[in-house]
Amino acid sequence: MFLHITLGLFALFIVFQLLYILYPLFYVKKDPDQQELEKGISVIVPAYNEEKVILNCMQGILNLDYSNYEIIFVNDGSEDDTLKILIDNLEFEPTYRKLPAVKIPHEEVRDVYQSKKYPKIFLLDKENGGKADALNAGTEYAAKEIVVTLDADSVLDSASLKAISLNFQQEDVVAAGGLVQISQGFEGNFTNPTPTFRIPGLIRYQVIQYLTAFYLHKLTQARLKSIVVIAGAFGAFRKQALFDINGYRKTVGEDMDVTLRIHQLIKTNKKYKQSKLIFIPEAICYTECPATLRDLYGQRIRWQKAFVDCFFHFKKAFFRKLGIRLSIFFLVDALLLGTLNAFPIVIIPFMLLFNADNFMIALALFTITIFLASYQSTVMMIVSRRFGMHYSRINLIKVIFFIPFEIVTYRLLGLAFIITGTLMYFKNKDSWHVSRRVGNTNTFKPTPLTDKEAV
Amino acid sequence: MKSHILFNVGFAVVFFLAFTFILSLYKDDFVQALDSDDYFPKDATLGMNACQNWTEDVRDFNPTEVAEEISVLMYHRVVADDDVADIHLDENGEMLSTVITKSAFEAQMKLLHDENYTTLTAKELEYFIKGDLEIPEKSVVLTFDDGFKDNAIEVYPVLKKYDMNAISFIITSAIKKYDQDYQASEYQYFSLDDLKNTCDVFEFQSHTYNFHKREKDHTPYLIGKEDPIVEKDLQASLYNLEGRNQAFASPYGEYDEENIELFKKLGFNIAFTTNPVSTEIGTNPYEIPRKEIFPSDSIEDFKQKIE
Repeated sequence: MFLHITLGLFALFIVFQLLYILYPLFYVKKDPDQQELEKGISVIVPAYNEEKVILNCMQGILNLDYSNYEIIFVNDGSEDDTLKILIDNLEFEPTYRKLPAVKIPHEEVRDVYQSKKYPKIFLLDKENGGKADALNAGTEYAAKEIVVTLDADSVLDSASLKAISLNFQQEDVVAAGGLVQISQGFEGNFTNPTPTFRIPGLIRYQVIQYLTAFYLHKLTQARLKSIVVIAGAFGAFRKQALFDINGYRKTVGEDMDVTLRIHQLIKTNKKYKQSKLIFIPEAICYTECPATLRDLYGQRIRWQKAFVDCFFHFKKAFFRKLGIRLSIFFLVDALLLGTLNAFPIVIIPFMLLFNADNFMIALALFTITIFLASYQSTVMMIVSRRFGMHYSRINLIKVIFFIPFEIVTYRLLGLAFIITGTLMYFKNKDSWHVSRRVGNTNTFKPTPLTDKEAV
Repeated sequence: MKSHILFNVGFAVVFFLAFTFILSLYKDDFVQALDSDDYFPKDATLGMNACQNWTEDVRDFNPTEVAEEISVLMYHRVVADDDVADIHLDENGEMLSTVITKSAFEAQMKLLHDENYTTLTAKELEYFIKGDLEIPEKSVVLTFDDGFKDNAIEVYPVLKKYDMNAISFIITSAIKKYDQDYQASEYQYFSLDDLKNTCDVFEFQSHTYNFHKREKDHTPYLIGKEDPIVEKDLQASLYNLEGRNQAFASPYGEYDEENIELFKKLGFNIAFTTNPVSTEIGTNPYEIPRKEIFPSDSIEDFKQKIE
């Protein structure tokens, strides 16, 4: 019986792996249409105790190849110098011209500022209420049709808003995920980033993981209308849709929560019947990933808790309110297989423990897992290259040698995070580990702020 | 952006070839693991009625010399001489009594052939015992117990070559749905494919569904278990065999009076024991003796057993 269950799950695992290998491989990138008029975009940057990194996102903002946008920083009652740094550097002054839509509740906004230096940049200073609350306040004050959420430490690629605007020309697009790259995996400057693999193993692992998650998983899920999460670091929404779902919910994983509720909106609200969530691989932002095991641990535990929380919150909504395909991806791929991520590898010692005769089966599962993982990584490299991730030959060799090693080492780490995160969710549902920021210590050299004046 | 269609197709094809190759490497392990604890289901049939029709025919021998008594021979496993392994040996390093080498078996069959022996079907044997059929002086019945896979691999070609036939008593629960590679060093049983491939030479009869077992005190299940339970087991084997109930062989050759009544009730026409004597007209059809052929038997011993 145990063996049958194992092999059944393994077969499911293979089905999803094959999907994630074949669909992205045969994906043909659409040639961009002629850019019509720019859609108005409000970029919301929530910040809570982000003094070390709050200015990082300015690198991208100042280099944007776009004009119809506004930036709204939301200081969520930070206890450090986040507010002061913003005001000092961007010359913020109070303004009375910006008013809320009064559609979704949030903690009180103390002051609204506008930058004297860059008039498209605003700042809300509000009482602390958590990230979801800060995003709600930002959405309230957003003047444009499309809301983009951006983490304070994330840097927009210069073409990113253009790509979002282009895709939102289609009226049925209601939300979209951008592609998040790890900034430590690039060198040069933000206007001309070059991928590099001369980075520590822990970051290499995350680079591979992000590339796989976006170029393989998201691409496939988007095609099957089953995007499970629009990454909080970089997502785009029609503002009206955010109003219609009554804003973000205060939870540890507001990004997955909002994604699922958008799905629910599409399935249950007639107005949104034709709407869809998409993935825009050309809309890129660069984010700094945790550089130490401790920070990575904190981040991943938070993600896993968020996932488990969403599962319980939506447990009655699956299938009927969330649709069949999304539910299958969430429950089978993410929950069943994902929460036992390295499932085949983990199950092997148990198999041997229960019955030593199963040695050959264990070996078989192991071989197949390694084979699929290697092939998937190869496809990942091919697809990301087609999207413009050109590693130099030396870096490519580094990648090729790293991947087999990564499969049997770092990937197991991910499993430990998942198990611990799940257990900790049940132990303490509300603990919120804020990952420490190391500031800009990577090889990615920021362009000094003063170089660019015109916004 | 180019579609890269040729590259993609090539890449996918290579992927599937490699994947299939890896799966094929482990195919037998998967099959074995999935099949190993699984009994052939009670409510399924082995599906070879059509190719067992020949066992219903009773030949008209018109012999010049009529047999008074004949031998029924009993075999279990036959393994190639090179394949003999520890599993076939007892603690003293001697061959188990239930295993003989292929060379010995071939020599025995050659002898039968050279001496013009006729191999009888179960039905012909029944008719002979009842005095309804005259059979040649040189007649013999070959029986193989348990249904080991080596019977399909090693025995079948030899019998086929000499145009002989034999009765195979199979434990129907042990039949494998999926074929596996033959390995002499394991206890493997007939697969459905094996049955299909050899049913022109073997007539398959019941050796219980899953009662080739002993209680803790070594009493065979047939004797130790309550009659209705034994009946259920035999009925399951008959269902597997699609009702073919010409002959039965008790595991270990052990049975009691109630068993015989049960054989009659279930419609079996004959049943075999392991009493090593000859069979003659008037022998109790439910206690037909059989002479086991041992690995230590010389060809002279064999000659004596068939005379």
